[in-house]
Amino acid sequence: MNRLISILYWISLGTVLCFITLPLIVVVAASLSPTSAVTLQPWEWTGRWYADLWSSRWLDPFLASVKIATVVAAISGVLGLFAAYAVVYERIPGSDALMSCLLSPLSVPQIVKGVAIVLFLSMIGLQGFLGTPALIAAHVVLALPFVTRMVATSLANFDANLDRAAQILGAGKLQRIRLVVLPMIKPGVLSGVTFAFIISFNNIPLSVFLVRPGDSTLPITVINYLEYSLDPVLAAVNVASMAFILTVIFLFEKIGGFSAQLHGGSK
Amino acid sequence: MNSLALDLHPPARRRRTLAWFPLAALSPSLMVLSAFFALPMGMMIGMSFTQTETFSPTLEHYQRFFTDGLSIAGFCRTALMSLLVAVSVTVLGYPVAYFLARATTRWRAVVFALALAPELAGVVLRTYGWLIILEDRGFINDLLLHLGVISSPLPLSKNLFAVVVGLTHVVLPFGILSLMTSIQGIDPNLERAAQMLGASRLAVIRTIVLPLSVPGIVSSMLIAFTMAASAYATPALLGGAGFKVLATMIYEQVLFYIDWPFASVMAMALLLMMLGISFVGVRYESRRRSRASVSSGGER
Repeated sequence: MNRLISILYWISLGTVLCFITLPLIVVVAASLSPTSAVTLQPWEWTGRWYADLWSSRWLDPFLASVKIATVVAAISGVLGLFAAYAVVYERIPGSDALMSCLLSPLSVPQIVKGVAIVLFLSMIGLQGFLGTPALIAAHVVLALPFVTRMVATSLANFDANLDRAAQILGAGKLQRIRLVVLPMIKPGVLSGVTFAFIISFNNIPLSVFLVRPGDSTLPITVINYLEYSLDPVLAAVNVASMAFILTVIFLFEKIGGFSAQLHGGSK
Repeated sequence: MNSLALDLHPPARRRRTLAWFPLAALSPSLMVLSAFFALPMGMMIGMSFTQTETFSPTLEHYQRFFTDGLSIAGFCRTALMSLLVAVSVTVLGYPVAYFLARATTRWRAVVFALALAPELAGVVLRTYGWLIILEDRGFINDLLLHLGVISSPLPLSKNLFAVVVGLTHVVLPFGILSLMTSIQGIDPNLERAAQMLGASRLAVIRTIVLPLSVPGIVSSMLIAFTMAASAYATPALLGGAGFKVLATMIYEQVLFYIDWPFASVMAMALLLMMLGISFVGVRYESRRRSRASVSSGGER
């Protein structure tokens, strides 16, 4: 009986892990196969879908996405850092209420935020704002609460004794912020910025309302194609963009991001 | 501990010279959020109550939502889909979460990476994978046709089944994480004790692990439900015209029918569904906290 339960347990574990990995394997296989789907035909490998990526059809939306995500990461990084500093470090009056305000967009589904923004822009006659500027604004609204929360957590977790010691030793406020606080919370800020970049780069539910023909992001371009065909070049686009995201995470990790936060930084 | 450390912050002597600075630091964030979140949300809510021509207050859009048949059906489809996703995420995630909470070998790291890696791949890639697998000339139908099990392709895509499969895959890592945290909080000695006293594996799971991990099960279901209800890309691609949910119907209202008040009403319906579910979660959590503090109050 116990044996049977164990066997069932391992089978269910294995099945779920297969379920998780199956679509990823299928997409990688499709990106290398000459036909449009993974079938039981004898497999030959081809790299031509990846070669097709070097056309403006895919490079333009990719570069647009990178541009938007970079601006969003920079803006929400700076704003989130300042906001968390004011609320957590300075504890200005009403800081709890202010923090809830700063985090309130998190409780609204993205698609609802997207509708609200597109209706708002249309109502006040700013349709010309659609495309890149609207995408940046909407993605900042989406990313800012996450960044604020991450920076706030690392500000709340860092050892205030260090700050106090610096003060006793005669450091002024700006000096302490520059030499003590900022280096201590750097991992939190960097992971917030990375996260902002990724959620902007991958975003669909907000972007879908705000793009314009010729001014679109990569995920939106991909899903617009997907509705009509399963062209294997899309598999190549997806695999390449995942590789790009992994590279970004790796780079930020090198600068001193997440694992530094796990091992040092917080208590 | 942390709050104590912060409370001991020394009063800064030079605070007065910089008193304006925290406010100045906060204001850009508040300005961005008011301009691109609070104001648009307010406008959308107002629009849902406004008559289109005369701009007078009205409930007609809400009335239409409840009476046109299609919208309520979409609302129910969204709820049903999210419920199915919540259940399947929790059922499928449980064995993985249990393994991650209890395993000590190096396989733990492998399973952990496998369970969470899809999260980095983005929703489009995974949905595309399921499209290849489930469509009429896809992987599964191809296999079954070759084996002669079926003579015509099974309808696996553009329906509830496909959307639930795709969303379960998208949400699963979050379910696994919340179940894992909860199972990690159960003292493994309880399981060992029960086993020593002669309980079978099944009895240990049924009478110890499952009841003690109920908070994790609830939070996994809540996360899965809210993520599924607000998802757009997966229902759009895997459900398509065959299975419309609120998210995809809102998109149609905005971009095809250009009916903004009605889109606002649908968005409000989705928002209220989510807030309702979150409210249930908050209530459950605060009840559990108060019960836990009562039952452990004597010892502390």
